Amino acid sequence: MPLINVAGSERFASQPTSESQIRAALGERLRLHSVSDDDIAGVDALTYEVIRHRLAMITEEMGDALKRMSGSVVVTDANDFGATILDESGESVLVGLYNTQLAASVDNAAKWTLLNRSNKPGIAPGDMFLCNDPWVGGGMHQNDVTVLAPLFHDGELFAWTAAVCHQVDLGGVSPGSWSVNGTDVFWESTPVPPVKIVEGGEMRVDIEDMYLRRSRVPKLIALDLRAKIGANNIAQELLTRLVEKYGATTVKAVMKRIMSDAEQRLRDKLKSLPDGTWSAIAHQDSARSGEQGIYKIVLAMTKKADRLHFDFTGTDPQVEGFINCTYNGLRGGIMPIVLTMLCNDIPWAPGGIYRCIDITSEPGTINNCTFPAGVGKASVGSTWSTMNAVSECVGKMLSLHPEHRKSMMCVCCGSWDLTLLAGVDQRGGPFVTMLCDSMAGGLGARVDQDGVDTGGLNCIPMGRIADVEINEFAFPMLYLWRREEIDTGGPGRYRGGVGGSSCFIPHDAPLGGVHLVVSSPGKAVPMAPGLSGGYPAATAHDVLIRNASARALLASGRIPSAIEQLAGSPDVLPPHLETNLADADVYYTHWQGGGGYGDPLLREPGKVALDVGKNKVSPHAAGDIYGVMFDASGVVDVGATDKHRQQLRRERAGLALTSNEE
Amino acid sequence: MQIDDNLEISDTGAVLCVHCAARVGDSVERPLQHALRHDRPSCAAGAGVRADPARFTQRPIVLRQIFCPGCLTLLESEIVPADERSYRSWLLAV
Repeated sequence: MPLINVAGSERFASQPTSESQIRAALGERLRLHSVSDDDIAGVDALTYEVIRHRLAMITEEMGDALKRMSGSVVVTDANDFGATILDESGESVLVGLYNTQLAASVDNAAKWTLLNRSNKPGIAPGDMFLCNDPWVGGGMHQNDVTVLAPLFHDGELFAWTAAVCHQVDLGGVSPGSWSVNGTDVFWESTPVPPVKIVEGGEMRVDIEDMYLRRSRVPKLIALDLRAKIGANNIAQELLTRLVEKYGATTVKAVMKRIMSDAEQRLRDKLKSLPDGTWSAIAHQDSARSGEQGIYKIVLAMTKKADRLHFDFTGTDPQVEGFINCTYNGLRGGIMPIVLTMLCNDIPWAPGGIYRCIDITSEPGTINNCTFPAGVGKASVGSTWSTMNAVSECVGKMLSLHPEHRKSMMCVCCGSWDLTLLAGVDQRGGPFVTMLCDSMAGGLGARVDQDGVDTGGLNCIPMGRIADVEINEFAFPMLYLWRREEIDTGGPGRYRGGVGGSSCFIPHDAPLGGVHLVVSSPGKAVPMAPGLSGGYPAATAHDVLIRNASARALLASGRIPSAIEQLAGSPDVLPPHLETNLADADVYYTHWQGGGGYGDPLLREPGKVALDVGKNKVSPHAAGDIYGVMFDASGVVDVGATDKHRQQLRRERAGLALTSNEE
Repeated sequence: MQIDDNLEISDTGAVLCVHCAARVGDSVERPLQHALRHDRPSCAAGAGVRADPARFTQRPIVLRQIFCPGCLTLLESEIVPADERSYRSWLLAV
């Protein structure tokens, strides 16, 4: 069925709303705490810094609480969650160093709740709201479930706290809610706009049942729900203590000043950069299983004086598939790059930072889709690609400044290579998990140094991967290897960080195998481009080997280290696929590195030699891409390198070789 | 003003190669006006292209590169559908 707009769905499509609009809309329905400009100006510097750091610590405490209480490896070991403190009107005051995509749109969820829930069922002390509607906000796709908690003081709504985690399964056609065959949102987990999950401090069991009923692993989802409620409880307890110690006016004044400070410092930084427009494009191959289109997100970023304008005009229309993202997803593609590249020395206060940003985007496009376009993959689909385009433009802009250029980083790990496993685990219970190994993506190169190998993702500064042993303990799988992959960092004068791969078999699986969902673009077109002549990072690459010899090799005491050793029938997988991984099968997943910076023929030959020695770059690439030649003993041959580089310069430009070079 | 690893803007507003001083563009309005352009199949990017793109799409995919007209230093690289114009650009308001 084609995508047909659903009448009435527009009311769920959040747009940024200012504090004054919120106050005007609420009227006397809900009293919001407020402070005056004099209150804000009156806070002394020492008190400001003490409270500011305390607020930052509260987001850390929220993260710790989530990790301690959750039972999902995605949360406990990979840190795929977010924690945010917001003011009374839903402006984000501070975000934790976790998934900053998630933190980017939680403000819209809080504002929507204020505007649409303050009358009925009402917002009162002890309440919490659950939301996983990507059109409302709080997350990029339905797996991102937010629990928002209003904090009251003296009868007034003082602030909000919000905890959001990636949930491993919330229903839909496919396990993990990654419906790779889906053409619209009705194939996916049903979005839930804000509902009161906790009322006056008590869980609403009817709402909880409605929420959990959709999942294949409701006990795990129930545990994560309690983790988020617990994280909010801890945050509210700590905020209350802060208010008791310093007074509500002072704490709120600090919150407001954090945002205005971030805004002013970003404006100052922008003013120091030249005005201009930088354009980029980000591709994704395939919108759903069996489909072979290539979709583009186009960005023209203009910096004028102290403002940034992100114009996505020209982006492809939304598509029948599951790669689209909503307007909140688009914001989730902008904010992580602005935070990490432009605000590395500025408080991470999106409420202030957004005041420097304008966005132009046409509804109905792949990164601003309308209901009921499929968004099940949004976070690592069009949100991620938006992030790539933003990264490229911000990077080019920063390159112009003698100091700020050091904060520039080429595009990191161009896509998330999803491996989703489901079935019955070694303890006989149902399981679903997203393997988070591709969290170890290669970081992009910088203007004066290589990208960090398997360094992570710029959207989750505290992201990490679970130990192999944790994954093997938690799920019915056995690794053959997990390692860095050669030639995956984008070549350049400064090389992009290399990505990695994992290769595993089902192990101790009561059903003999497991269900496998694969989803990664970047196989036809690599998604981490380089800058200033640097090459893109490697493409994503996933291979399924049917009837492999892995078990026989292990039984004979040999640990396989290459696909070629596994016999069987290797099949290079398309971007999206849902299948079974049988007992005799092997799955190999290989994610992307970071883009390179500068011409690889300008890279110091000694660095290339080191890369070859450390298996970061193959001897073949050292010669063909970097132009570095070695003598018989493996030492760089300077003369031969110079000559070869001269030859490569003409060859790659399509020019005939001179007689000396032939 | 230095633009990136390879280009700078001269006092006259021309865009020059920092490695050989060749004039790449006469002005910032057309910064890569004199640059050389060359497209090759994406596999020319080396081992980083892990599989033939034809496995995944009907559209031809190319490695598109731009070079300094003087010293042939690589100024830009991208892997894109061959039938698509280049969207990557920059324009300074100086």
